[in-house]
Amino acid sequence: MGDFVGNIMLGFGVALTPINLGFAFVGCLVGTLVGVLPGIGPVATVAMLLPLTFYLEPLSGLIMLAGIFYGAQYGGSTTAILVNMPGETSSVVTCIDGHQMARNGRAGAALTVAALGSFFAGTVATLLIALFSPPLARIGQSFGAPEYFSLMVLGLIAAVVLAHGSITKAVAMVLLGLLLGLVGTDGQTGGARFTFGAIILSDGIGFVPLAIGVFGLGEVIANLISPQHRRDLLTSKVSNMWLTRDEFRQSWPAVLRGTAIGSVLGVLPGGGATLSAFAGYVLEKKVARDPSRFGKGAIEGVAGPESANNAGAQTSFIPMLTLGIPGNAVMALMIGALTIHGIQPGPQVMTERPTLFWGMVASMWIGNLMLVVINLPLIGMWVQLLKVPYRMLYLAILLFCAIGVYTLNNNAFEVILTAVFGVLGYVLIRLECEPAPMLLGFILGPLMEENLRRAMRISSGDPMIFVERPISLGLLIAAGLLLLVVALPAIRGKREEVFKEG
Amino acid sequence: MIRFGVLLASLLCIVLSSPAQAQDKFPSKPIKILLPYGAGSATDIITRIMCEQLRQILGQSCVVENKPGAFGIIAIEEMARARPDGYTLQVGNVSTNAITPVLFKDKFNISYERDVVPIARLADLPTLLMATTRNFPPATLAEFIAYAKQRPGKLKYASPGAGSFPHYDMEILSQRAGIEMVPIHIKAGPPGFINDMGLGDIQVAYMNVATSAPQIRAGVLKPLVTTTDARLADYPNVPTMAEAGYPGVGTTLWAGLFAPAATPPAVLETLHKAVVQALNSQQVRDAYAKQNVRAGASKSLDEAKTWLKGEIANWQKITKEIKIDLSE
Repeated sequence: MGDFVGNIMLGFGVALTPINLGFAFVGCLVGTLVGVLPGIGPVATVAMLLPLTFYLEPLSGLIMLAGIFYGAQYGGSTTAILVNMPGETSSVVTCIDGHQMARNGRAGAALTVAALGSFFAGTVATLLIALFSPPLARIGQSFGAPEYFSLMVLGLIAAVVLAHGSITKAVAMVLLGLLLGLVGTDGQTGGARFTFGAIILSDGIGFVPLAIGVFGLGEVIANLISPQHRRDLLTSKVSNMWLTRDEFRQSWPAVLRGTAIGSVLGVLPGGGATLSAFAGYVLEKKVARDPSRFGKGAIEGVAGPESANNAGAQTSFIPMLTLGIPGNAVMALMIGALTIHGIQPGPQVMTERPTLFWGMVASMWIGNLMLVVINLPLIGMWVQLLKVPYRMLYLAILLFCAIGVYTLNNNAFEVILTAVFGVLGYVLIRLECEPAPMLLGFILGPLMEENLRRAMRISSGDPMIFVERPISLGLLIAAGLLLLVVALPAIRGKREEVFKEG
Repeated sequence: MIRFGVLLASLLCIVLSSPAQAQDKFPSKPIKILLPYGAGSATDIITRIMCEQLRQILGQSCVVENKPGAFGIIAIEEMARARPDGYTLQVGNVSTNAITPVLFKDKFNISYERDVVPIARLADLPTLLMATTRNFPPATLAEFIAYAKQRPGKLKYASPGAGSFPHYDMEILSQRAGIEMVPIHIKAGPPGFINDMGLGDIQVAYMNVATSAPQIRAGVLKPLVTTTDARLADYPNVPTMAEAGYPGVGTTLWAGLFAPAATPPAVLETLHKAVVQALNSQQVRDAYAKQNVRAGASKSLDEAKTWLKGEIANWQKITKEIKIDLSE
């Protein structure tokens, strides 16, 4: 326990320096901004800002990127409640009851419960990270190649199972990412793969051009092509921010439930904010005494999913920070940011760079506090932002992307590659293929291959190594169970129902 | 009137010629150093520390541009094709500027030996042969070799990639000692395999002093031998390869400064002198010591040339002796 207090103090010590407070603030501000603006998501924004972190201290960069991720969860609810448009995919369900509340003249209460619920969930989730990461990292230190391989098998299967939309498409996207990840020099033999003789491809496809292209440019193209939505702003109705006694009584248990379910789902590979929000909404509807109130402005329908999405956003940091395994696309980007700085993500980060780890944890709580302040009193300002014409915004984004990609390696080829991936990203959006599993495949594929081959060499070619080691065996059994579960028709129906809710 | 005309003409001459004269005096504008590695890498840190001192000596700033990729070929070719005026240089290490020109000779669009000249060797990062402490009794090179002889093909070693110098170094040692080990290549380098060594899945690997120091302190790994010519001050009990009976085995990770071959000799001379002065300064030595890097400049341009020739010849010999198939 003394250790715990010491670590937290160490974290606040570095997180409270003016420079890191500044980056936390910038991250939260940018996060809220992209959260409020529909069409630009946190994945795209984190991808675009990734090259910038190259010039910062690793901790400052991570603090900023993390702020964008959870800041977007706060900002997204504002647009959902006031405009009936999800600013983020994770606030899709908030539209249902949040916007109804706004129509009933309770916009202020909906915004307050979303912000305070998120803050509570964020606080609890940060505490969970601080409590559970050190033991998890200790387990991680006994992970060799076979354990990592089995963990990644479990992770990829979970990512497919928990992705929304068609399973077939999710599998296809994982495989596409895997193939893209294979390009370059094979580490074991030195042979070139899929380089078509081009020496420029001998180091493989860069992570940043892929992420910025598919998530950033792809979304920009898609947004410019689709007709502008009519935005019916309900700004005039934001008046009384306080909850009534009844609303408070109804919402606090929902906040608790949302926090619990979000914290659990966030840790799962493929989980995170969106899944947590959907699950939070379904749960509220299930436990409600009068489910017919939902869809007509039930405050639990805002409090539950909003707490869940923020808890999920925070706890999804756990596998990334402790094992170096990304659970979702934003975490994959975070790993990219670490490797740019020459930090190999994994269990050793916590022991070798305690200030990085604990500084990050402390900054999460500070960021959540900042977000309540940024969001509630300044709500009018954020709403004004929805009036900025997109064509202006996108020009700035495009320029920023190009500069960002070029400066990373001073390589013009990567800018061209980004443009190609931008087109691919747009095609994928039109085909309704989620690019997130592709990014996971791209990151996990080569890692899986390396660990598989490493394990096979360690065992001198005996595949039994995967079942002889207890941790590896346990992970493989879990993966098998997950496959079995998803194949059962009853569960499959349920899964589709959950994702249909939005 | 005529006198005035002459005066005017000569004045004009002076005014017009002064920029040309300034151009003659090297350096009159910032120097760009191309680097085949990303910012924050060991070579990058070595270069940036030297640059800071060069700026004070030459009175011109020195800009590092990171151009990683293609085993260093991208940075080397850009330097070799730049105007040979001493304003575009390149820093590289044993991998990019001695092994790549031998192993990937046909991937170059220039002739490395004809188009590139060394200005100076800069510094080196000492390398140790490290072993796991988990279920692995040998504590010296001789014990390790005896242990490996009893277990042919059973011990595993880590390297950052097929055809990398730690890969060659371990194969040379195996050949000379008559042992057989299995290589496991891990792209991420030591950070990616320290865990496997700690678990005892991988037994030995070459590692630089900066990476291995915390592992030695934690008792996870133990040093068997150093590849340097003399023992290291931090590890006085660890013998050199020569002392352990294997002279010439093991590569020292050096960094060097290179220029286009057509650069005027006077400019090369100015640069060489400035670099030697920078590396001999207390500031650079202290800053390098913090990174476990040892400064060691070539004494003259000719010495630098002889040194690079020797390195290339050495790697030609090694790659002929140890056949590593990199085609598939």
